[in-house]
Amino acid sequence: MIKNRHTESYDLPKNTWDEMFDQSKQVRSEYKTVMDYLDQESTDELNKKEELSKVLFMSQGITFTVYNSGEGVEKIFPFDIIPRIITSEEWEFIEKGIKQRVTALNLFLKDVYSDQFIIKDGIVPIDIIYSCPHFLREMCNVKVPHDLYIHIAGIDLIRDNDGTYYILEDNVRTPSGVSYMLENREITKRLFPDLLPQCKVRSVTEYPNILYNNLRSLSPRQVDNPTIVLLSPGSFNSAYFEHTTLARLMGIELVEGPDLIVEDHKVYMKTTGGLQQVDVIYRRVDDEYLDPLVFNANSLLGVAGLMNAYRKGNVTIVNAVGNGVADDKAVYVYVPDMIKYYLNEEPLLKNVPTYQLGNKDERAHVFENITNMVIKQTNGSGGYGMLMGHAATPEEIDAYKVEVMKDPRQFIAQPTISLSSAPCYMHGVLQPRRVDFRPFALCGPDGITIVPGGLTRVALKEGSLVVNSSQGGGSKDTWVLS
Amino acid sequence: MSRYVERTDGMLRMLKINYAASQDAVSDFSWSPVIRIFCGPDHGGNVNEFNSRAVLQYMVTDKNNPNSVINIITQVRENARSVQDHITKDVWQCLNEYYHTVKDPKLNNMLKKDDPISVLDILIKQGMLFYGTTEITMARNEGSSFMRIGKYLERSIQSVNILDIKFGSVDHNPDLLTNTSYWKHLLLSIGGYELYLKTYRTGFEAENVLTQVVLNNVFPRSVIYSLNQLVKYFDRLKIDGHINPGDLEFLIGRLQSKVKYSSIKGLTQDELHHYLAEIKSELYGIGNAFNQTCFSLS
Repeated sequence: MIKNRHTESYDLPKNTWDEMFDQSKQVRSEYKTVMDYLDQESTDELNKKEELSKVLFMSQGITFTVYNSGEGVEKIFPFDIIPRIITSEEWEFIEKGIKQRVTALNLFLKDVYSDQFIIKDGIVPIDIIYSCPHFLREMCNVKVPHDLYIHIAGIDLIRDNDGTYYILEDNVRTPSGVSYMLENREITKRLFPDLLPQCKVRSVTEYPNILYNNLRSLSPRQVDNPTIVLLSPGSFNSAYFEHTTLARLMGIELVEGPDLIVEDHKVYMKTTGGLQQVDVIYRRVDDEYLDPLVFNANSLLGVAGLMNAYRKGNVTIVNAVGNGVADDKAVYVYVPDMIKYYLNEEPLLKNVPTYQLGNKDERAHVFENITNMVIKQTNGSGGYGMLMGHAATPEEIDAYKVEVMKDPRQFIAQPTISLSSAPCYMHGVLQPRRVDFRPFALCGPDGITIVPGGLTRVALKEGSLVVNSSQGGGSKDTWVLS
Repeated sequence: MSRYVERTDGMLRMLKINYAASQDAVSDFSWSPVIRIFCGPDHGGNVNEFNSRAVLQYMVTDKNNPNSVINIITQVRENARSVQDHITKDVWQCLNEYYHTVKDPKLNNMLKKDDPISVLDILIKQGMLFYGTTEITMARNEGSSFMRIGKYLERSIQSVNILDIKFGSVDHNPDLLTNTSYWKHLLLSIGGYELYLKTYRTGFEAENVLTQVVLNNVFPRSVIYSLNQLVKYFDRLKIDGHINPGDLEFLIGRLQSKVKYSSIKGLTQDELHHYLAEIKSELYGIGNAFNQTCFSLS
């Protein structure tokens, strides 16, 4: 018996790739089982499921903290119960594309912090590198284990109106969100019993084990039991839940800056039994706060002397320090060239066309077409400091232009890409909302592993194109079919 | 009574973890090991081992399965009723409530079509209430010592049983020996996963799992921990003069030493099976001796 007709009430957006429906509003084959299931359930039952998901998130403490929110600090990361599905063919392509991109980015980091062939060969202009605030001279000629700079990468993908995947952003500093990939799956198991095995969805639970094994293999000391810690900025950080979850899942210590101390260029952790040498630090603290002696002297989050220990090779920091130069949005423009230069391959996943506002002609073009553009800071993250041209008022645009002119190098513009839409269960019906996708790549000495899944972020406001959690975004469970 | 509650607790946790694992499995997920652990080798009934819902119902609410939660808890309640003078009112009420929860037809309906983990969680919580209530309200007298002895006896039997069956499956399928998720699930289902991660840094290895579950002194589900506790409460009974130690003391002491001073490194499959079977039979022997010494009518 069909209790619901979600298809009929769904308002398919125009000029947009929809994840569930094709142009003629037929359910795509990969969503068939899920749609059949949804059609069998009454609105009441679906509402109950939505309620259950909220209760589960709250009781498990899966919450995040927003700094500039007036209404209290602790929030549930909004979760939409309808999964986003990726077929095995699509996944195979994404996987290859990301491996290729991360390999090139890693080679770029090694190069840019040692011989700088890519600059000498004129592929990437020197001023782009040296004007990047995340290019750290402190990292030049520092040897990192296995030449690995990027251990964990979160690459953001979006889909244009013809369904092509584009790279929106590379995150190779401290990408977050992986705990939501894991927890969303646990919640889905409970919301839709038996649906996962029916659809043959691939499991994501191996992530912490793979990461742990990689971390262990990076220990500079050849010991049986290297000490691995997760360095968190503390419980006020918006991703603190993620830090605790990962530490628990890997059985490693969760520490904050004051728990560590550097002596004789070695890092030690304070324990009740005395000092214990630390071999690998999985840090969730940004570069500029890591070591007050080298970077921001006012920072209490880091450890004094850490950089010296790191440069001596007595401790491994994950991800490597100085990675920000690889995910800088002005450097992003050159990533396809890097892939050709280092790998002699055509890039599989395309970049979104990007204009550099540091370049006079491009800036003029962007300012002329500003209503069709998205302008971002090159080193920004979390959706802060963006201008969405189509939604901004003339005053906002003028104010932003003034901001840009102060230092145009720090801004880029991209034509507004409409992002694909996926159905979300809201107020008893399915409604289209815009989504992106962040799979997580883990790089170890034995190669790159991408757990089949990732975080689908969704812009919960109608028509909104901003998916960041700090800007009212939510998430969905992401199923990769086998 | 305590033994029964301990058994249901172990069973419910096992079901919960295995159900979650079944949702992750891309191929058919077999419940056969779980059924064998808690119902014995020949008591699978006619239940389809690949149908999670059917197995859960069989294990939780099926009255025709003598080892189902509903039947065990009914027994517990009957036992509790007959020893009301030895347990506190709170403990009795707690068990009575457990009984009514598991009998509620709504629970069975939920198990049929809603989220099974919610159902299992409700029942696990009832068991936790029992543990907490006994801890807080029961005087540390004879009754309480017997309850703990029952609890730890059952727990060690369970741990040995689980190991025997899990390692037994390796005989038929040697790939399992190096299958990390196989050992991960075993640890999760007895609540030893986080401890394992902190103790062993080298990933999931069968021998380490075995060592933790048999010989780890601080792991509350290990065989040695349970035996040590058993000895402790048996001594308390002895000191209070409630019991004539006789054979019992010999049996318990012998088993404790045997486990404590055994080396399980490098055992072959056969030797391991033999070793676990011996422990199990001695545990049953202790159970029987308790019955004869303390509860036998003749």
